[in-house]
Amino acid sequence: MKTEYLLVLCAILVFPLIFSRLMPLRLYGHPRALILSMAIVCGVYWTWDVIAAARGHWTFNPSYVLDARILGLPVEEWLFFPVIAFISVFTFEAVRYVTGRMDRK
Amino acid sequence: MKEYTLLAVLSVGLALLLDRWLRTMIVRKRAFWIAMGIMFLFKIPSNGYLTWRPIVLYNADQFLGIRLWTIPLEDFLFGFGLITVTLVLWEYFVTKGSAA
Repeated sequence: MKTEYLLVLCAILVFPLIFSRLMPLRLYGHPRALILSMAIVCGVYWTWDVIAAARGHWTFNPSYVLDARILGLPVEEWLFFPVIAFISVFTFEAVRYVTGRMDRK
Repeated sequence: MKEYTLLAVLSVGLALLLDRWLRTMIVRKRAFWIAMGIMFLFKIPSNGYLTWRPIVLYNADQFLGIRLWTIPLEDFLFGFGLITVTLVLWEYFVTKGSAA
C-alpha cells in the first residue's frame, strides 16, 4: 500500500492530538519557540537526508511511499522531521507537566 | 567508509555540544531522560515497522549492519541526536524568550 509511510506518521501524531486536550501544556504558549526550533531542526536534518539519500545511504521502497518526491526524497520523508520535532517537544512538556504535578503533591 | 555510522555518531556529539554551548544543560534534567525513554518506546514499533516492511532500505556499505530487531544501530543514534537537538533548541528559545 503506497500510503503506509504516511499512515505511520499519522499514527505517531495520534497520541499528542488526544492528550493535548487533557493537559494544558506550555508548548502552545510559545509558538515562536516551537516554530523556530522546528525550523532549525528541519533545515539541518533535511539537508542531511537529501545528501545521504543522494549518496545512497538509504533508499525508499516505492511500494510503500507516494510518488511525489522533492530533491529525491518522498514527501513523507520531508514530513518525518516536523512530526518528530513536534512530538519530541510535546512528550518533553507532557513529562514536565506530569512530574511537576507529582512533585507538588 | 561507513558514512551513516560516522554521521550518526557525529550528530550525537554535536547535539550534546550544542546543549553545553547554549547552556541549556538539558542532559541534567530528569524530564529529558524520561521523555527520551518514552520516545524510544514509541520509536521501536514505528522505526521497526519502517525497517521491517521495509519502507526504508539501508546500504550495507554505509552502516555497521548491526540491527536491534530490524532497526540499524545507527538509527538509535540518529533518533537520540534528533530528539536532543530539538529539545535543546526548544529549551533555549523558551527560556530566552521568557527572560527577554
